[in-house]
Amino acid sequence: MWSVFLLIFLALCLGLAAWLIFLWAVKSGQYDDMEGPKYRMLDDDETKKNKTK
Amino acid sequence: MLKCDHCSLQVPDKTAVTDEINGEKKIFCCNGCRGVFRFISSEGLSDFYDRRESSWTPGPPDERPIEFSAFSDSLRPEGDEMEIGVVIDGIRCASCIWLIEKLMLRTDGVHYARVNYATHKALIRWDPKATDVKNVLTRIRSIGYTPKPALPGLREEEMKAQQRDLLVRFGTAAFFSMQLMLYSVALYAGYFQGIGEKTRLIFQLIAFALATPILFYSGAPFIRGSIRGIEQLSFNMDVLIVTGAGSAYFYSIYQIFAGGEVYFDTAAMIITLILLGRYIETGAKGRSSDVITRLLSLNPKEAIVVRDQGGIDSCRESAVRSTETVPISSIQVGDLVQIRPGERIPLDGVVTEGMSEVDESMLTGESKPVAKGPGSEMFCGTQNLYGSLIFHVKRTGKDTVLSQIIMTVENAQARRAPVQALTDRMIGYFVPAVLLLSLITCIIWLMYGREVERAFMNAVSVLVIACPCALGLATPLAVLIGTTRGASKGILIKGGDIIERARKIDTVVLDKTGTITQGKPRLLLYTGIGVHDDEALALAFSLERFSEHSIAKAIISAPLETAPYPVSDFTAHPGLGVSGIINGKPALLGSRAFIESAVSSELVERSIGTQIRSQEISGSTVICLLYDGSLAGVFIISDKVRHEAKESVEAMKKAGYDVMMITGDGHDTAFAVAEEIGLDKDKVMARKSPVEKAKAIKLMQTEGRVVMMVGDGINDAPALVQADVGMAMGRATDIALASADMVLMRSTLSLVPEAVRLSRKTYQVIRQNLFWAFIYNIIAIPLAVMGLLHPIFAAIAMTLSSLSVVGNSVRLKSG
Repeated sequence: MWSVFLLIFLALCLGLAAWLIFLWAVKSGQYDDMEGPKYRMLDDDETKKNKTK
Repeated sequence: MLKCDHCSLQVPDKTAVTDEINGEKKIFCCNGCRGVFRFISSEGLSDFYDRRESSWTPGPPDERPIEFSAFSDSLRPEGDEMEIGVVIDGIRCASCIWLIEKLMLRTDGVHYARVNYATHKALIRWDPKATDVKNVLTRIRSIGYTPKPALPGLREEEMKAQQRDLLVRFGTAAFFSMQLMLYSVALYAGYFQGIGEKTRLIFQLIAFALATPILFYSGAPFIRGSIRGIEQLSFNMDVLIVTGAGSAYFYSIYQIFAGGEVYFDTAAMIITLILLGRYIETGAKGRSSDVITRLLSLNPKEAIVVRDQGGIDSCRESAVRSTETVPISSIQVGDLVQIRPGERIPLDGVVTEGMSEVDESMLTGESKPVAKGPGSEMFCGTQNLYGSLIFHVKRTGKDTVLSQIIMTVENAQARRAPVQALTDRMIGYFVPAVLLLSLITCIIWLMYGREVERAFMNAVSVLVIACPCALGLATPLAVLIGTTRGASKGILIKGGDIIERARKIDTVVLDKTGTITQGKPRLLLYTGIGVHDDEALALAFSLERFSEHSIAKAIISAPLETAPYPVSDFTAHPGLGVSGIINGKPALLGSRAFIESAVSSELVERSIGTQIRSQEISGSTVICLLYDGSLAGVFIISDKVRHEAKESVEAMKKAGYDVMMITGDGHDTAFAVAEEIGLDKDKVMARKSPVEKAKAIKLMQTEGRVVMMVGDGINDAPALVQADVGMAMGRATDIALASADMVLMRSTLSLVPEAVRLSRKTYQVIRQNLFWAFIYNIIAIPLAVMGLLHPIFAAIAMTLSSLSVVGNSVRLKSG
């Protein structure tokens, strides 16, 4: 039975951790610009670009 | 003609500036562009020229010094660093943002630079020891973009904070609900397979601990709303949510002590799903108001007013004038305002002096700059490009086209969506009914002589089961999927209320130019009379260069072999034509009526001949050129009817709509087009100005019709706003997006019946969703009345209603 309670405790901790990460994400503005990242990912890294040249 | 390598403007060979940069010969229209190109290359950012999507790039940078004092409010310290928020003018596409961000990050001392793609607001952070605000802003300006202080924009900040708050509340509810469901499922399993008393109690206590923050933190706005509702004696949605979730929660607490079953999952799910619905709704609203905030921040706050001093300047034989910079709010109708190159036009008006080109893309979507001369109309918010202009102010403040449109959009956003009203109406009956039923349950149990506690608990269980979880999802989900489906077909629908109104439409009014026709008039035929054909074209071309009328566009898009003549005293006569002086001789170009006002109609009749008259009747426009007192040329311009127009009109007629056509053109042309697309003459309204178009629609509305107006741009803006549903076609610009309720991304008339069909279908799905959301809970109510309610039934009702609502909404995807 103890193993069940241990697992319950771990599950609650995981859930809590996910919630805290979510709160951090909102506070630090990860959800503020939903439009930009899709363009930014296409921007080549400069250093790489210089190598190929 | 050569093309400037920086701003892609065409430059005559003679005036081109050439330079050798990185071993390649480059051509520029001016030294300003050369400077920008050099600067961008020296920063190693020449990739910009390959990656930009449109050839448009801001021209040479503004020469005037930046007023740094205006930015002092936008500056704030951020730890050891300084931070500034500025709105950047001139951004056209993703590559502009790339360029600005890269340039900023290459500035010594700048650690962070991000430009928001939707609002064009840049956030830049730097080390005050290494650089300062002047350097940062000057560098942005040196590549041709203009930084402007971000408006404090209370509403924007407020909306952002609201949206964040909602997201945190929803996220919290979602995370805790997920955890909660684990224990609820364990408790369901315990019901079927048996569970130890102690284990069950522990699970119930964990469920209680998880449900508490959902109800009191995530549900706090509903609790506040329901208190307000009860104070006003109105049973709104919040009251239903709070009675449902609250009774489930407190009933469960009682059951923990009594050793019964708990309903914490029901309480949690009601709140989570309703918050999800609200979050979907605000997301859609936020996007269009972002655009508005940006437009407002870009507008100038000051303008230069030109005042006559009364006397006459003896050297220049003109009135003595003084100029003064004043705030926009103090400018009155009739004032003369001077606009320098690169500035935005602060108010609506008519040009009196000067020639320039104006970028009106934000209003019309036309990316090519429009030439402006005396008589041309200017619109607030558009950008003057090359020359200096003086214009006569016609509309100020709230009356400008831009403000009108912004106001309409803001009102539309504040207005409560009628679909939501449908839900509210249902709830208005449902809540009192449920409360009454619960009271009756309590009384019946007491009458049968059961103990008070049992009677009361059964009454509460009626409240527990009555609140449908999927209620909050029913409308937003259908609207979301309906609008997404529309977007994939090229139909942008602005919100749930439009779906509600589009369903009732019985009359469709189509604008002629640009909607039924392609909106691109072409020069079909031209003949010189007494002069060579090409000479006639050269004269017409020279005159029409300064007019923005669609007819003028047709003439100047014709291939001209020779250079155009210089024109002086250019005047536009709205609705008639243009006039000017070429080589010292007066030249008039315009409709027959315009020319006949200058010379006898007999002369015109004789010169034109029969062939041309038949053209006039068949829907083409005939333009005459009068040069030095005699008729010198005739131009036939025709705007082709869209090939799918007839078919679409027929489809709309078949679907039961009364299709009409409205146009600013004359009757002959209008009737010819109407005949071509299969409309009767009595369905045609010709010779209507933009304001008259709106009036005509208002008249139809007073007759009890529900009208949809389909138009293509700024000329129809008043009519689009007046109509129950305004649909903009073709060019999805900021203004079209703002003034119309629906926007067609592709210029195809066949999308019009499609859009109405989609709205009808979406509305149907919303109604079905409301039915499915309620039905399972209503079925379960008798169980609660009889005292047989169990968490399993609540869970089944919850799951089935949510699945039915989601499943039913997804059907729209294939519609």
